Amino acid sequence: MLIEQAPPVEPIRPRHRRRLVIAAGAFAVLVTAGVMAFTILEPIQVLPRIRLAPGFALTDQTGATVTSEDLRGSVVLYTFTYGGCTEPCDAPESTMAEIAERIGEVDLGETEMRFVTLSFDPARDDPDALAARAQKFGADGHTWTYATAAEDQVRNIIGTGFKTWFEDRGDGTFSFDPTLILVDGWGIIRGEYRYQTLADDADRILRHIGILGEELRNSHGPNSLAYEAAHFFLCYP
Amino acid sequence: MTTRRLVRIAIAVLAVGVAAWVLVGPRLRPHVFHGVVMQSGTPAPAIDLEATSGGRAGLDSFGGKLVVVYFGYTHCPDVCPTTLSSLNKALDLMGNGADDVQVVMVTVDPERDTVEYLADYMTYFDESFIGLTGPIEDISRIATAYGVYFAADEGDIASGYTVAHNASLMVIGRDGHLRLILPPELTADQIADDLRYLR
Repeated sequence: MLIEQAPPVEPIRPRHRRRLVIAAGAFAVLVTAGVMAFTILEPIQVLPRIRLAPGFALTDQTGATVTSEDLRGSVVLYTFTYGGCTEPCDAPESTMAEIAERIGEVDLGETEMRFVTLSFDPARDDPDALAARAQKFGADGHTWTYATAAEDQVRNIIGTGFKTWFEDRGDGTFSFDPTLILVDGWGIIRGEYRYQTLADDADRILRHIGILGEELRNSHGPNSLAYEAAHFFLCYP
Repeated sequence: MTTRRLVRIAIAVLAVGVAAWVLVGPRLRPHVFHGVVMQSGTPAPAIDLEATSGGRAGLDSFGGKLVVVYFGYTHCPDVCPTTLSSLNKALDLMGNGADDVQVVMVTVDPERDTVEYLADYMTYFDESFIGLTGPIEDISRIATAYGVYFAADEGDIASGYTVAHNASLMVIGRDGHLRLILPPELTADQIADDLRYLR
């Protein structure tokens, strides 16, 4: 039997080995520097994908049914209130009104922007009461909808789903956590605004809607990698 | 060093570069998800329903597998069979990797979908698929938490009715967090591609 002997493997010369080590080291430094630059400079910012917004069926100020499926595909800003809520309790709706008025300042491309104010007082907030409140804040009923859910669903949708606390004081008024919540077209919560910051809320939320718009317009094809990297490296505003 | 030698070295470097690009490039390229990636810091909403596999089941009942959650019903005329068939094909494409994935369908029509009926239906698509059912209040609460709205059309069991519902697939990771939302328009190849990467 003829056994072919394998040719001896030539060992890597020390000079070559040194070059290889330098090249590998340079590559590692380059990659690390790139990652650090991306993380520190944040050339792309994104809003976090926090969690799923709840699914729901609501009755709006015209008596029509609005479901979470009707809003799918649109960016939606939610706020929560009740019909008897007066100043300063109506601050989130005033912020919403300012954002609705200035929404032209941001570019969402072809994605529609919607506003929904949800009442947690369905016993009193029938369509007429909702329509009166909508008129007070300039809600047109299409772009900005006032709505409420069936009594047995309100706590599930607002409390459990949007994680927004409210409590009936038993005298026709409510204690609640003034909140605005931004949801993308997938039904994913992308921003929760539960407290005042140094920046004006309307300015901050508009800036965030702009960031979301930029992601919606650009995260297709190869660009999506950059946006997913921004999510991975938590490049959040 | 002569010009000729320089040209040879350049050609060699180019050849090595092209070979590396062709052979190693695809492995180094980061995975591009077909679904929407979630980085939620909170666990996925809890599920505790009656299972076709016997007893009650929740997200932690499937031995550390990836769990694909779907909301559908057995009398669904179009989207449910299509989605479940796609999932079956996706698992076939994954080969042995499919052992790390558990598909569950939460019925949105518990009135008609008894455990026995659901079990037959799920087995028709894949023996490993599990159906979950329970009181409508529990299912409604779970669906709401998963962003799923459903509503039955007018009608009763005798006349028949359909149930409108969201058809996205939710992928829950081994850590119990929602990792991915797969829209209904994805193909079996794309679903398999994402599940293969996550498992």
